[in-house]
Amino acid sequence: MALKVIYEVKNVSKTYGAVVALDGASLKLHAGEVVGLVGDNGAGKSTLVKVLSGAHSPDSGQILLDGEERTWHNPKEALEAGIETLYQDSGLAPHLTVSQNVFLGREKFVKGIFGKLGFLARKQMEEEAQADLEAVGIAFPSSNRPVSQLSGGQRQAVAIGRAVSWARKVLILDEPTNHLGARQSGEVLEVIKRAKKKGLGVIFISHTLPHVLEVTDRIVVLRLGKIVRDSPTSEYTADTLIGTITGSYGSDE
Amino acid sequence: MSNSKQDVENVSFMDQVKASFKNQSVLLVVTLVILAVVFQIASQGIFLTTNTLGTVLNDWGSYILLAVAQTFVVITGGIDLSVGATVSLSSVVAGWVLVKGLGLDSSITGDAAIPYVLLAVLVCLLVGLAVGALNAFLINILKIVPFIATLATMGAMTGLAIIISGGMPLQGPNNFKLGLPYNIFGVQLPISTTVLSVMIILVICGLFLHKSKFGLYTFALGSNPFATRAAGISPAKHLTKVYMLSGGLAGLAGAYAYIRLGAGSPTNGAGMELYAIAATVIGGASLMGGVGRIVGVALGTLVLFTVQSGLLMVKVVTVSPSLKQVIVAILIAAAVAVQTLQKPGRK
Repeated sequence: MALKVIYEVKNVSKTYGAVVALDGASLKLHAGEVVGLVGDNGAGKSTLVKVLSGAHSPDSGQILLDGEERTWHNPKEALEAGIETLYQDSGLAPHLTVSQNVFLGREKFVKGIFGKLGFLARKQMEEEAQADLEAVGIAFPSSNRPVSQLSGGQRQAVAIGRAVSWARKVLILDEPTNHLGARQSGEVLEVIKRAKKKGLGVIFISHTLPHVLEVTDRIVVLRLGKIVRDSPTSEYTADTLIGTITGSYGSDE
Repeated sequence: MSNSKQDVENVSFMDQVKASFKNQSVLLVVTLVILAVVFQIASQGIFLTTNTLGTVLNDWGSYILLAVAQTFVVITGGIDLSVGATVSLSSVVAGWVLVKGLGLDSSITGDAAIPYVLLAVLVCLLVGLAVGALNAFLINILKIVPFIATLATMGAMTGLAIIISGGMPLQGPNNFKLGLPYNIFGVQLPISTTVLSVMIILVICGLFLHKSKFGLYTFALGSNPFATRAAGISPAKHLTKVYMLSGGLAGLAGAYAYIRLGAGSPTNGAGMELYAIAATVIGGASLMGGVGRIVGVALGTLVLFTVQSGLLMVKVVTVSPSLKQVIVAILIAAAVAVQTLQKPGRK
């Protein structure tokens, strides 16, 4: 693949007390590439996601965005650099409307002095949220409805639509198909393919291996904080993938 | 099978009820009208007068700032128990600055007192902001839950108010006209300068809560703190602003109390926090966070003080003043029950 490396971590480690959560992990992500990140519970996926999204700083190792070394002090810095993360447990604010959720943290203001005071351009945000979600290809409800009135699948669609429409470089999706039915999962996978076409680098974390095999270009397997295999998806079968995750199938080591 | 059909019909009936009571406000206006009629009859026709309305609004004014303060805090999913103590402390500090600091006394009245009253307002505001900052420190830095943090502040500020005042009201310069209802061309209005000022603050707070980024983040934080943090918003920074706003508004309520009494008294704010929380809940805010409207809270506070003033005027039966506490408790329970009914999908 001749595409350029957009995001990269080199040799990152992270310990929590005596627990080594991440042990010298290195990962490259190319523009327009979907990388699957898999591993058993406690393998270090969540920690790696937190390092990539700026929620936690690694104890050692480098983070490079577009070949430039970066340090994230908080998720906001990573967000502003174009790295959008959908956490599996964060979701949306149920009392806010669809458009308020889509624009949360990036509000648009009315013109003039009232805008300076922080007054919001509600109509404009509603229209743009609607357009953004449409562009991502998500079946969405009216953007001025509270999220609490949506079904689980619709909520997830809005959350993903939000992430895709804001991501400029990297999109990190942590278990986006969790708790979704077959049809809704299919829609999510379509959205991921569309994000890839947009030229985003996508990191897809999932326990649902058929989804990983369907949508990714490359699969990275983590075990006990180490990356044990990093190969094109075509080189895995469902059986060898499970074997690599559990450690029963021969790895690179 | 017929059961499930009935469920569907029940839901649609509840939706119709919900549509007519789209929010708590309609319910509260209806309640107010009923209360007015009942008290008008029970007081044998003396309830609905400009005088009574003036009294109700005057009481309302001293609590509405606290209720508004509480609304912002409650929407974030927190609580501020220190607002009553802040009223006491801020009015006492203002009295101390004027009486002990500047050596003034209550002989200064009328226009001559106006600059000193404004100074008292400023002092009260600053004291309130400081208490709010202390609450924010306890909650954000020491990670104490808001209930305990503000309970501690409440105790400490009540004690400080007694120490600073020596347990006695500090009577300073005042212009009592500020708290008296306007009389324009011989027409008595129920509104005074202090009540009008409070109404203006109420409207400004309402606009910021429902139309601005500050208000949106307040709802977002109470609705889902994880999503809010993930959106790049710092919960600690926003909570600091909210608790300082709450403290600042409580400080202004202290100034209101000072102008009303012409004195900073350590008992000015005693027990006010409970009424403020009651008004907030009656007004439709959820103690679980994420829900609340300023209009509802303004009306909820009005319901509380209509009941209070009304009970004093009832003539057909003798009503013990202590009964008002029971009635306030019933109102809170009823308000929470209505909230639960309004939520779809919960039985």
